[in-house]
Amino acid sequence: MNWQLLPQFAITGLLNGGPIALMALGIVLVFKSSEVFNFAHGQMLLIGAMAAWWFASPEGMGLPLWAAIIAALAVSVLLGLAIERLTLRPMTGQPLLSIILMTLALGQFLQGLTIFVFGTTQRNFPVIFSVTNPYRITLPLTYNDNPIVVVLRQNLVWSFVIAMICVIVLVLFFQYTRTGLAMRATAENHETAQSVGIRINHVFGISWAIAGVIAAISGILIATASGLDLSLSIVVLAAFPAVLLGGLESIPGAVLGGLIVGLAQGLVGLPNNSFFMGPAAAQAIRNSAEIVPYILLLIVLVIRPDGLFGQKRIERV
Amino acid sequence: MAVLRPSGDFDTSYEHDLAVVRQRWQWALLLLLLLALFTLPYYAPAPTVSLINRIGIAIIAVQGLNILTGYTGQISLGQAAFMTVGGYISALLVGAAGWSFFLALPVAGLGAGLVGLIFGLPSLRVKGFYLVMATLSAQFIIPWLTRHIYPSLLNGAQGINVPVPTFSLPVIANTCFLGTTFNAELGTCVYRFATPSQFIHITLGVLIVSTIVALNISRSRLGRALISVRDNDLAAELLGVNLFAYKLKAFFIAAVYAGVAGALLAHNLRHINSQTVGLVDSIMFMGMLVVGGLGSNLGPILGATLVVLLEELATVLAPPAAALLPTLAGGATAALKPLLFGLALMLFLIFEPRGLAHRWMLIKAAWRLRPYAR
Amino acid sequence: MRKWTLIMLVALMGLVLLAACGSPATPTEPTAAPPTAAPPTTAAPTAAPTTPPEAPAEPTAVPVQEPDKRTQNLEGEKITFYHFGDLSGPYAAITGPLVFGMEDAVKAINERGGIRGATIEVRFADTGGSIDEAVAAYDRFVGSDPNAMIMITYGSGEVEALASRFAEDKIVNLSAGLSAIGFYGPESGYTFGLGPIYPDQFGLFLDYITANWATIKPASAGDEIKLAYLSWPGAFGQGALTPKTRAYAESLGVQIVAEETYDLSPTADTTTAILNAQAAGANVIWTNTLAFGPAALMNGLGALGLKQEFVLGGCNWAMDLATYAFVSDPSLAVGLISPFPYLWWNNADHPGIQYAASLFEANGRPAGARNVGYLMLVTGVDIAVQAIEKAIDTVGFDNLNGEAIYNALTTMGPIEALNGVVRVDYANGVRAPQQAQIRQIQGGPDAFNVLQDWTQMPDLRP
Repeated sequence: MNWQLLPQFAITGLLNGGPIALMALGIVLVFKSSEVFNFAHGQMLLIGAMAAWWFASPEGMGLPLWAAIIAALAVSVLLGLAIERLTLRPMTGQPLLSIILMTLALGQFLQGLTIFVFGTTQRNFPVIFSVTNPYRITLPLTYNDNPIVVVLRQNLVWSFVIAMICVIVLVLFFQYTRTGLAMRATAENHETAQSVGIRINHVFGISWAIAGVIAAISGILIATASGLDLSLSIVVLAAFPAVLLGGLESIPGAVLGGLIVGLAQGLVGLPNNSFFMGPAAAQAIRNSAEIVPYILLLIVLVIRPDGLFGQKRIERV
Repeated sequence: MAVLRPSGDFDTSYEHDLAVVRQRWQWALLLLLLLALFTLPYYAPAPTVSLINRIGIAIIAVQGLNILTGYTGQISLGQAAFMTVGGYISALLVGAAGWSFFLALPVAGLGAGLVGLIFGLPSLRVKGFYLVMATLSAQFIIPWLTRHIYPSLLNGAQGINVPVPTFSLPVIANTCFLGTTFNAELGTCVYRFATPSQFIHITLGVLIVSTIVALNISRSRLGRALISVRDNDLAAELLGVNLFAYKLKAFFIAAVYAGVAGALLAHNLRHINSQTVGLVDSIMFMGMLVVGGLGSNLGPILGATLVVLLEELATVLAPPAAALLPTLAGGATAALKPLLFGLALMLFLIFEPRGLAHRWMLIKAAWRLRPYAR
Repeated sequence: MRKWTLIMLVALMGLVLLAACGSPATPTEPTAAPPTAAPPTTAAPTAAPTTPPEAPAEPTAVPVQEPDKRTQNLEGEKITFYHFGDLSGPYAAITGPLVFGMEDAVKAINERGGIRGATIEVRFADTGGSIDEAVAAYDRFVGSDPNAMIMITYGSGEVEALASRFAEDKIVNLSAGLSAIGFYGPESGYTFGLGPIYPDQFGLFLDYITANWATIKPASAGDEIKLAYLSWPGAFGQGALTPKTRAYAESLGVQIVAEETYDLSPTADTTTAILNAQAAGANVIWTNTLAFGPAALMNGLGALGLKQEFVLGGCNWAMDLATYAFVSDPSLAVGLISPFPYLWWNNADHPGIQYAASLFEANGRPAGARNVGYLMLVTGVDIAVQAIEKAIDTVGFDNLNGEAIYNALTTMGPIEALNGVVRVDYANGVRAPQQAQIRQIQGGPDAFNVLQDWTQMPDLRP
């Protein structure tokens, strides 16, 4: 094991967990209010980032970056509202399978639409954070008498910070605003919420709009770090297990789930040729970042079927 | 759906009551259809044969999914992963171990079934989204394993080339019969299922068997127990249906079907790797099932046919679309395939959630009742 | 139940009967294969591919000799070039220009009157980077044209998967995917490379760095060359790492201390791979990737501040314009060393390059497509046309098929495609070029400068 790299990989992993947590949050938000698990979140991410690119690039509108991001957020709000109104409103009361398939179909549709509009070319997303000057932090630890230095890319740090700011803003929004209260009430029970005068269709719309914004922000954060490409829509696959790790209905659970996933994905880089199972196994484990979230998920499902923070479901015949 | 029979069609014996194909003309029609399908390579152009071949393989995979999702109500996004398992098993048995394809095919099904059992285990503890996620994890873990374990055997991410299925006959009276040709190396007459127009006979043969099995599962005790698990699992348990056993049986059967379909696919493509069938294919199988009709034996056939035809339509529409939108360039197929599939599935979910099979029942009923009712 | 047994029986009978009548591909009578104790010659179809019959002994016979053999004035005839590649998946960035180059070169040839008057028709299919799509495209093409004779492919994966079928169906495949297995694997034989195979490239790179280590080594490095192989998974990414190349590296005293892979995606994170390579003491990195592949490494090295710690090398595709679309700062690309089996756009006074450049201008292609792929396919089409012309001379247009083109390619001797942009000799079982330069990025994409002129590469065929 490359123990001297442990702090590096742990911190990088945790920071990578920031955007994952943000994506998980977007999914939980929609699920809490409307009990729809949004498999199309990845495509919303992609469209948000594509829109931002189009507004900013000289090939598109050529707006300054801040204006482009705001415009992309507006597009994402409209997209969220349209998705809710056109595809999920007709599905109210339908069985689980139909709703799952609806978001899966929606994901495919949006993927095709994105290719149709933007083509398949990979694009350079405007660089927001410097790529050449990483932060270097010397830890008060030594390994073989060498101080351990952690090198952190700027975009990694700032993506994490922005993701966490979004999380805090959302939590405050739920806790202290009237709309947030209405959303929490709807999440608790649709009929009761309706009976006290909350228009739950509005609440659904708002939660989809917020999910759109969150998706666009995560999309932009990831695109600025690594370029813009159709594969952005599959980045979200790491967030699905994060959602379930924390429990479907829990916002702190989603955030924690995201961070755990990021941390685990970072730590699998540790085994080296002196790994006890041999160099081949070590190499396989180093390349297991894509499945680690799902293995964690399987373990958690066996131990705590409702996730770490999920509500216990009680069924009656 | 009530059983609507034309007047005069009575059950005269217990056997007749059990019959699926009830009348002479239905038999005749069925045999004609089979004959038309089996002789396809003689009158249809090669691309059409290849298309029917793809549809056949998709139908088999969806039939398995129908037993798991349509009858038992367990949602699975892992069907493609079990196809991968079946494909690799068959490829290795035929390629590395030198088995006959016709022996390897059922073994591939059983092997995939066992792997399916493992990923069916969480179904006892979790359901709904949690189960979807557990099956989704199969979709990631299995391809990852094929890329990283036994690289000398599985060849990592590149995957392996799969031999052509063959059957050999002994040389009789210095002549090779049954369309085989003499192979000097083996000293026997060999027939190679190399091109789709040769391979389609295997696909159709397996398809007939798989359809008969699926049909009989659905109307036996097993099928009824599975349906009771779907409709109300707690009540089913009180009635003495062992939930865990039946859910696992459903997972096993679905994975066996997937394994067989995967083996067919691998030998038809003559190549398999971890991405030959993937998450998108799992989604497409679910889509085929819903478009065709959940919990109906006709559903997988109609659904798979429609969706594969839509894919083909996307390939056909791609060049004009690319001419219309130059920015699209080569991406037209990649754009149209998910676009058409997603759109079709969404429309079905909203307007005809019970699928084409249900629509077909309505048409049949309307035909029988005409001119009195619609 | 009885009825079901009946259905099964009927179905089985149908199956057997149809198998009996055989496939449309074998129109011969069943008795046409009379096996005796001694193996008859009819066993050819499966045994032939690796050892196709050699062409007549004299390679360049008099072009026009028999009156019934049409070799000239083929107006109104058609020769179809099939090609398929990834225009919508991960390799899209590199395949796009390859396809442009192919189409522009064919268009120019048709405008000049085609091959002896026959027009070249082009049919393309998008594979989205998936091998089964490629196989499906192959089936479609072969199914619709029983005399398909030449296909052009762009990816190692599909070449490896289809190599045996090209040989079986006798279709010449000119490939830009340069995996050794595709050319020299079992049952292959009809696949020819437009560039040297990756093991040879890796070998040439190893030769160069061992010979020049004192001058190119990083300041912090010792005398020992420790190489890290950081690449994509899959046929292309792992293509340079074979038992032969490992042994060759060992014989040169180069240790391969780390083998890491990273995702085939522009969003791949190379930090882990680089840090593990550093922890293993590596001072040279080889990457068998293209476009965002080398770019991800360059970005990662830049972001970690480790650029000066490593000599970065890559296969020929790595040193390309496409890489520049993904490096976050062009200065990060400087220093890359690659085997370079063709000339480059900055050899502006070379007639072949001038020809490619004129095609590029004439067709108004986007600036990003002026890369290695475009150049390689313009030369590739030139090779194909030379071979087809020779095949027509040998067998006549009416007998033109894949086998004739194969014989032409293998007997042509050294080919200097486009006046020497690429140097190829497909004789003696060699199916890929074996000559290359070594170049280094010393500025922008117009400064891929020669470090070492054309040399014979080490022969590391499997």
